[in-house]
Amino acid sequence: MLMCRDLARIASDYIDGELGTGKVMSVKMHLLMCGRCRSFIGSLRASIELMNAHSSQQLDEDLVRRIDERVSESLNARRSGNDTSDP
Amino acid sequence: METTTHQSDDDILITGLKSGNQGAFREAVRLYTPGMMAVARFYLDHASAEEIVQDCWVTVIDAVQTFEGRSGLKTWLHRIVANRAKNHLRKTKREVNADFSEALDPDLAARFAPNGRWATPPSLKTNESAQALMENGALSDCLDRHLSALPETQRSALMLYEAHQHKSDDVCNILDVSASNLRVLLHRARQKIFLMVETFQETGEC
Repeated sequence: MLMCRDLARIASDYIDGELGTGKVMSVKMHLLMCGRCRSFIGSLRASIELMNAHSSQQLDEDLVRRIDERVSESLNARRSGNDTSDP
Repeated sequence: METTTHQSDDDILITGLKSGNQGAFREAVRLYTPGMMAVARFYLDHASAEEIVQDCWVTVIDAVQTFEGRSGLKTWLHRIVANRAKNHLRKTKREVNADFSEALDPDLAARFAPNGRWATPPSLKTNESAQALMENGALSDCLDRHLSALPETQRSALMLYEAHQHKSDDVCNILDVSASNLRVLLHRARQKIFLMVETFQETGEC
């Protein structure tokens, strides 16, 4: 018999479809009877969505600028090739 | 599996990178640096990770000539970063510290009665869509704080799996973890985010 705590432990595996058929059946049986766990699975799903909506916004502009500078220096050095005596 | 759109977008970008086009590099740097940082941070502290990622981009200028496109550009870049980061870790004789022993977050585990049923059931209301919730600036800031507070290993696993949509096999390969350990990292991170959103919704505080 699957208890709420057991379900909480494997909730991500259930959401991601990583559980075997037998386990999925017992999770579904439990969810039919347990509103609290239905609410937990729904909330965990919502948290994942929220995070996905959020994390796509992150970009460290300062790091990007430093990389752009280094890449552009290297590209220019290659472009000017060996025809300059500068180090 | 990458979608066709991504493949053709990648193809145009790769042609630009191979010809040393500065604009193509700028675009690729913006597109792929966050994921590369997530990989590097799994293994290294922030400063070393930034250094490795910068070095990788300079390496890519030449290395992209030999890129054959068998894996997607993103996966290829992430593997380069992972290899460099692992080498760096080996040189500094350090190891990745991660706890794979328990899939349940201690704060969540404390909410169950000894008989395994909820003692403090979830109170999060999920009737608002994620997008609507994100328009709450305070929640967005709070999410930032909690994401930064996650152990690096959990955060990297989460970023690569969710935000960068790698397949599990790819993440395991790039982060050098077993499939079951990846599941633990992902689940632990998600529970932390769940607990944070629940508290925020209940109290209005981060």
